[in-house]
Amino acid sequence: MTETSRDSDTSALDLNSSRIIAMQPTTPPKQATSSAVTDLQALRLPANYGATLGVKKLLTIVPVGKPKKPQFFRTHTAADMTFAAMLLEQKESRENYVVQPNVAQEISELVRPVQLHAAIDRQNNVFLIPVPLPGEAGTRNPWHESLAQAVEAAKLKWLRIAANMHTGGYDIYEAEGALPDPDWPAHDMDALVEVAFRGKIITSLNHPVVQSLLGNV
Amino acid sequence: MAAPTFPDGIYLVDFEFHPARGREGNPPVPVCMVVREWPSGHTSRYWQDDLQPMPNAPFPTGDKALCVAYYASAEMDCFQALGWTLPRHVLDLYTEFRCRTNGLRLPNGSGLLGALLHYGLPTIGGEQKDAMRDLVLTGGPWRLAERLAILDYCESDVVALAHLLSATQTQLDWPRALLRGRYMQAVSRIQMNGVPLDTETLERLLARWNAVQDQLIADVDRNYGVYDGRTFKVSRWETYLVANDIPWPRLESGRLDLCDATFREMARTHVQVAPIRELRSALSEMRLAGLQVGDDGRNRCLLSPFRARTGRNQPSNSKFIFGPSVWLRGLIRPRQGWGLAYVDWSQQEFGIAAALSGDPAMMAAYRSGDPYLAFAIQAGAAPWTATKKTHEAEREQFKACVLAVQYGMGEASLAARISQPVARARQLLSLHRQTYRQFWKWSDSAVDEAVLGGRLWAGFGWQIHTREEFNDRSLRNFPMQANGAEMLRIACILLTEAGIRVCAPVHDALLIEAPLGELDEAIATAKSLMGEASRVVLDGFELGSEVKEFRYPDRYMDKRGVVMWNTVMNLIGGPVSV
Repeated sequence: MTETSRDSDTSALDLNSSRIIAMQPTTPPKQATSSAVTDLQALRLPANYGATLGVKKLLTIVPVGKPKKPQFFRTHTAADMTFAAMLLEQKESRENYVVQPNVAQEISELVRPVQLHAAIDRQNNVFLIPVPLPGEAGTRNPWHESLAQAVEAAKLKWLRIAANMHTGGYDIYEAEGALPDPDWPAHDMDALVEVAFRGKIITSLNHPVVQSLLGNV
Repeated sequence: MAAPTFPDGIYLVDFEFHPARGREGNPPVPVCMVVREWPSGHTSRYWQDDLQPMPNAPFPTGDKALCVAYYASAEMDCFQALGWTLPRHVLDLYTEFRCRTNGLRLPNGSGLLGALLHYGLPTIGGEQKDAMRDLVLTGGPWRLAERLAILDYCESDVVALAHLLSATQTQLDWPRALLRGRYMQAVSRIQMNGVPLDTETLERLLARWNAVQDQLIADVDRNYGVYDGRTFKVSRWETYLVANDIPWPRLESGRLDLCDATFREMARTHVQVAPIRELRSALSEMRLAGLQVGDDGRNRCLLSPFRARTGRNQPSNSKFIFGPSVWLRGLIRPRQGWGLAYVDWSQQEFGIAAALSGDPAMMAAYRSGDPYLAFAIQAGAAPWTATKKTHEAEREQFKACVLAVQYGMGEASLAARISQPVARARQLLSLHRQTYRQFWKWSDSAVDEAVLGGRLWAGFGWQIHTREEFNDRSLRNFPMQANGAEMLRIACILLTEAGIRVCAPVHDALLIEAPLGELDEAIATAKSLMGEASRVVLDGFELGSEVKEFRYPDRYMDKRGVVMWNTVMNLIGGPVSV
């Protein structure tokens, strides 16, 4: 029972096009030919997820302070990834403020000159380590000196530091594993400082923190 | 996308068929075929008497023609049953509908009716479809009026195909659609080949299965006392747990969590639970009655290609020999003079993740041949001189961590798996992030793409819409699973077209067979082509593969199932595995 009929469908492919897709014969060849594989490779789509969406991680928090006891860290090797500043530390709130030089002169007993070093931990968290500069005699106390040594050594090695009350300085521990180098975010030091001290820059003696420390409030 | 040209025509094809002698597992017997030329609408209807004598399809199937079907593997099965050469080009509108709508809610499903309704196209009623299908499955003989009704029904499907092709032709990703069609031909070759079984042992097992279950329960339950007949009594299990001081996870409702995954996890930390877990698993997953076995003793069933959201095959667990408990795979046995080989890619998901993310450390770990130990070394937990022997404990923990990342497991679950404090699990997961930063960046981008772009895709166009899917775990896992599926599809195409007899695809593996004298060569070809498939999908990065061979009279055996197989065989006097 073979029957035929005709009832035209409404739309058609472009029958004028000369393009014919090259496919492999159904009759099994004994080996996949190199052209078969080349044809397949030409169809591969890249797994470049997010490439056109432009998602990037924003830098929103940059803590300032010494690394915590269990925290392995590295410091940036570039000289321009440090920043000299006058720092005012408010112990009660554990907040650090950058003080403009003209204001710092007026409250020199409350501020101290530091070098801020860009640092990063194993979880890729960026932070700034303030290392007090040597005093007028060119020396630092053992705490500051050992911290400075650790910051310098951390340019090449993953380190952690721990306070040693007996020696009055920091013990430095070096990671023995062959850990990969840090993956630094593409931010310059100015950007890190700006985020770290957003709303924490003292430009006048009238700043409430200064007024509080001077006993005026 | 621009449509290709087929100067010899485009033919919409549908068969009606039933399994030979009415037995599921047998090859199909074509009852009729309707072919509609598109777009002319010229239609030809053939009854089985017309089809049988034809040496080939009565329409062009060469390089300049296209064959269009819905769920084309079934049509290709009929081609093979008739001894016809398979068409050079196949477009399957089922695979294209699945690909286009994967991840969307489809109230009418993804069958032909569902696709027509999705596009607002005319359909015949579902009830009428069921009635006609039942009529075909009776296997005949059919009266003249019934024949005409079956032919009309068959024709209604090709008319529906014409509507569907007209509506979707400009939306198709033609080159990749034809690749998927090519895979449906490979599926048909595999389905028609099937898996050889030891039917003698299967029949013995079926005949005595009730007694076997009772005996198994009696043997295991004597130490627990939790079964009442064949029923697992939850209250008794709770009593046992209290008496043995075993803290058991509970559901939000407060009831004991009795899913197999929980039993499996608990059996790791409380070994006394393991036997009862094995028993529950064996009883619940052993649905022997549903296994589809043809007259020739081969397990054949629909492989359900593209059924899973990842694009993987999803054959019925009860019909497919690889579905039930692993010990039942002992029923797989090559026929006399033949051998079987189970070829699987080594650590496929890890390799895919490494290659697609381009993480150099991860790729180096894969290339080392032991990515788990390499991870431990890269993370600084083992020296460069470490081996599997010298650092077995570390390797096991880092292996568990790799698998935990792949499965999206949290620190608590990982801790339970490795019997370590949560802090250790947290540390391991953190080490993974630190060691494979490029991978994690890429994985995060995949989630961003899914959430912002609304879809994710694999290398050859399989995609998922993610507007309704915000499960972080499955989004991160999709690229590995979906590209693994693409890799398997390409391997199936390459192997079947190279003349290798593929019995079954099994997740990241292929079961092949060959006469004993040709088995070594078949294995070498299969390994080479599977390597080729991985290079195609992973832009030149090659995955290795491992082989297990089973030469007649040996049977297939999964080491995880040996104990249960031997237990049951001892009960029924069947062949034990050494």
